[in-house]
Amino acid sequence: MKLPLHRGFIGAGGILLIAAFGTDYAYYTTSLWQWANFSAWLITAGLILILVAVILLLIDFATGRAGRLNTGSFILVAAAALLSLVNAFVHSRDAWTSVVPQGILLSAASTILLLIAGARGWSLAMSRATGDHP
Amino acid sequence: MRTTSLRPIAALISFVALAACGSKGGDPARQYGADPYLPEPHDYLLPPMSVPKAIGWNSGEMPTASAGLKVEALATELEHPRTLYTLPNGDILVVESNSPGTEAYRPKDFIAGKVKARAGAAARGGNRITLLRDADGGDKPEFRTVFIDHLHSPYGIVLVGDTLYVANTDAILAFNYQPGMTRVTSPGVRLTDLPAGPIDHHWTKSMTASADGSKLYVGVGSNSNITENGMAVEEGRAAIYEVDRLTGAKRVFAFGTRNPTSVAFEPQTHQLFAVVNERDEIGPDLVPDYLTSIREGGFYGWPYSYWGSHVDVRVHPQRPDLVAQAIKPDYGLSSHVAPLGLLFSEGQHLSPAFANGAFISEHGSWDRSPLNGYQVIFVSFVNGRPAGKPISVVTGFLGRDNETVHGRPVGLALDRSGALLVADDAGNTVWRVSATQSGT
Repeated sequence: MKLPLHRGFIGAGGILLIAAFGTDYAYYTTSLWQWANFSAWLITAGLILILVAVILLLIDFATGRAGRLNTGSFILVAAAALLSLVNAFVHSRDAWTSVVPQGILLSAASTILLLIAGARGWSLAMSRATGDHP
Repeated sequence: MRTTSLRPIAALISFVALAACGSKGGDPARQYGADPYLPEPHDYLLPPMSVPKAIGWNSGEMPTASAGLKVEALATELEHPRTLYTLPNGDILVVESNSPGTEAYRPKDFIAGKVKARAGAAARGGNRITLLRDADGGDKPEFRTVFIDHLHSPYGIVLVGDTLYVANTDAILAFNYQPGMTRVTSPGVRLTDLPAGPIDHHWTKSMTASADGSKLYVGVGSNSNITENGMAVEEGRAAIYEVDRLTGAKRVFAFGTRNPTSVAFEPQTHQLFAVVNERDEIGPDLVPDYLTSIREGGFYGWPYSYWGSHVDVRVHPQRPDLVAQAIKPDYGLSSHVAPLGLLFSEGQHLSPAFANGAFISEHGSWDRSPLNGYQVIFVSFVNGRPAGKPISVVTGFLGRDNETVHGRPVGLALDRSGALLVADDAGNTVWRVSATQSGT
């Protein structure tokens, strides 16, 4: 059975977005500017990987590597990606307000969504063979 | 090509701008003078911007001067001319320079780099000083030569006795100068180091000398917009230094001046003045750039507060002790005009209206919509203090559509005849503004 292509990229992107919450928290507690820079890069890179995953998901559908959409996981990841897109702009501010308070709240919210999506196996589609999680 | 590569960014900008409120700037006149209108600061997802495209000047095109004045090109095809200086024999020095270059620390810096390039601010500087000489008493200098080469992002320049001081971004160099020289061959002697890299965000080192020539005063800009590169790299920055001309010993004379891009002494009172570029990204009408007298030991707010005690919440941790002593600047120039040149008029060569006061060149920026600045103004002085509303003297640097920019004014000087010289770094030209009537 062919494995779906998109799943690993959802996981990789999701982990970078979760890591941004960690670096946001580090900035919040230390005021050290480099932590805020790490967050900005992590969010940008995480969003790029999620974008790659979405393209691969379409390929998975087109080539029969994936069955129908796993709506619950898709909503979780889509919501986290939208929050993170807004957060990328919040993190483009300068100094303290790039993280506190909106930035770290947004990364906390997307972290919760992504942890649930991770627990559900990161896949946005049902396996074709069984119609169940792959 | 530049337009194409910017299109997705522009689309994104307009999308986010729709969501932003308070993104259009009001009448700049509300922010002129001692008591400017200060709106509430905003946090933006994307700060209001308007990026004009640098298109240069076609042959025959030039800026517009106010009534009774005419403009002509004194020198063209320079390499990013910034500062002008007239030597006692009438020779004109043109400092051609730009930033030594900064690295991208954040994803935002890549986009900022593209914005800068579109607005004509990213061109390579000549890192040299060009000499212009008019030997036959006409208006046009027929002789042009490289006076000093291989400098390192030079900006400030001042002659004291037989020594010419040049402020590179990282040090003041002293060169022996003899009247009539057309090329400096001796290597410069390093008088003192100045705060520069890493980063070197605001790289210009403006400079002037006290009337007796014993001290040099140097404006050093901050290493960030508002401490986003950490406090460690702000050590000794956003300050005006006093440097002993003979020993090179230096001390901070005043601080909290975010980017003091020109320093000059008022000729009647011998009081030091500076024009200062204030912070960005908290609104189109924040924070007004300003002209102010510089008090010894004075703190002018950056980064903790602006216009006195208006706290900037982007700075953490805060310093209420410093905010309490922050000095209100003398005279607001309105927001995001980017004043780069300050020149006291020293007499009514151009017009009786300009007998007593200061010319200020407003380079303009992209941090505001609609655009503001992009002109040379005159601020009258009464009893050694700025007074009244500014007058536009040279305009027309922006295209009529406000979406293109021909040139951007920087350094100012008076030539031997009293005509006003304006360096234009985006247009790579030095303009000469003189009275239509008199024979000068």
